[in-house]
Amino acid sequence: MEISNAQIEFMQNQNVGRDPEDDDVCVNVDDVSVMFNLSKNKEDGLKEYFINMIKGKVAFDEFWAIKNVSFQVKKGDSLALIGRNGSGKSTLLKAIAGIIKPARGNITVKGNVAPLIEINGGFDRSLSARENIFLAGAMHGHTNKYMKKRFDEIIEFSELEKFVDVPMKSFSSGMVSRLGFAVATCVNADIIIADEVLAVGDAKFKQKCEKRIAEMLKGGTTILFVSHNTNQVKKVCRRAVWLDKGKMIDIGSSEEICDKYSKFLKTSKKEVRQPTGRIRSLAEADI
Amino acid sequence: MLKKSLYEFMNYMPFLKEIVKRDFKKKYYKSVLGIAWSMLNPLLLMVVMSVVFSTVFRRSIPYYPVYWFSGYIIFTFITQASHNAMNSMIHNASLIKKMKIPNYFFCISSVTLQFIMALFSLITFFIVAAFFKVPFTMNVFLFFVPLIYSYFFALGLGMFLCAYGTFLRDLDHLYSVARRMWMYLTPLFYPVDIIPSQFRFLWDLNPIYIYLSIFRDLTMNGVMPSERTFIIATLYSIITLILGIVTFKEKEERFFLYI
Repeated sequence: MEISNAQIEFMQNQNVGRDPEDDDVCVNVDDVSVMFNLSKNKEDGLKEYFINMIKGKVAFDEFWAIKNVSFQVKKGDSLALIGRNGSGKSTLLKAIAGIIKPARGNITVKGNVAPLIEINGGFDRSLSARENIFLAGAMHGHTNKYMKKRFDEIIEFSELEKFVDVPMKSFSSGMVSRLGFAVATCVNADIIIADEVLAVGDAKFKQKCEKRIAEMLKGGTTILFVSHNTNQVKKVCRRAVWLDKGKMIDIGSSEEICDKYSKFLKTSKKEVRQPTGRIRSLAEADI
Repeated sequence: MLKKSLYEFMNYMPFLKEIVKRDFKKKYYKSVLGIAWSMLNPLLLMVVMSVVFSTVFRRSIPYYPVYWFSGYIIFTFITQASHNAMNSMIHNASLIKKMKIPNYFFCISSVTLQFIMALFSLITFFIVAAFFKVPFTMNVFLFFVPLIYSYFFALGLGMFLCAYGTFLRDLDHLYSVARRMWMYLTPLFYPVDIIPSQFRFLWDLNPIYIYLSIFRDLTMNGVMPSERTFIIATLYSIITLILGIVTFKEKEERFFLYI
């Protein structure tokens, strides 16, 4: 289903001035801030704990990973979060997935979310692939019966027919990520949250994943997506949010934002650039 | 609100099943005897304890090995389950950080795993009881009642400890010491008669002792415990469970900052 830019703009204009509680909006991020404390293990000791308690104030550095970010995602839309390392993309995804609670602001999500925060998220390496599929399925809230129906499909998609009963300890990172992607996308979630999940795997598998995502978009699934690969973002997502140091710089169509972002990376020469070539592939394999 | 929580709870039941299965498999990973250890372990301990203590308490306690065994099952279940539940957030940090699973499920799974192991130990217990020819009564079939009390008490205690233990790791070590003290304060291997009667009321304050005496009355003495005992036991379980849930709910929002 190809939708031209003009159509998207039309659709967006239609929504201007509408109530955020609109039926179309399935993710509403309203002025959200997330705080972490850089406690440096200060409060882990009994002595420090009591000292802090007597002082009446807990003495750790506050670090705002996300500051005053607001945006909305409509049902069936695809939104990418881009930005440099440490800009708060993953934190924002976690907040949307409901894993961490924002210190300020509200996040409302309609429908069930399948978080794929990290590629091996939720896998227990000492169990076999078969056991892990059922475990991960249960984490997404699916029954054993439902997963049995989907089992063959998952194995087929991840190309792991020979390794079904092998403990995942001996899997390569590519195998783990393939399985992770297959499990998270086989289920009928309304919203898929994908953090760098397309980074691993060969070109053929990447294509397969992109195809699957396109199919899901067609089926009305909403996708939130993090990637450092701007080409991929342009291909997969219709819209993009650019984050930097926890603040939202811009939001718009993915073409426009990605171009701005690439330009920004080129101009900010003093800053550390995105690693390229070999280093980049290493960095991606390490997630 | 309550309806939503209930719905959430039912939705994650398959997860509870899978996570208990996982922990169970991991516990006996690559051991030859596997689950048989949870039946064999107390049996071997029982032999040791009987040899050591039966000369001391032979007169006052009939069926000493069975007496000790019953105490072991209930006490180990409650303290080990609550201890594991207390550390469950730290042990499952990798899952909690990545998946949206209600945190309390990890407490429930820790307690449930210990409960299953207690059931296996119970098989040995009945074999031992039959071996020593403990008189059989129909009351034996109510053996699960004190276990259910223990389950909810352990869950409440575990959630309460977890709410603080996640922030303050020292509690882990402190609780180990407390468990040892608790063990000596509970008549596991000594008869309660050796406590002077004017202090006996203090022992009634110990929930484990209440549950244990119900269990012993039903399975060994063939007596139905008094209604008063049942009421006290129910109150202990419910109050502890409510206290645990309230404390846990209040603190859980900040867990992710500390794990």
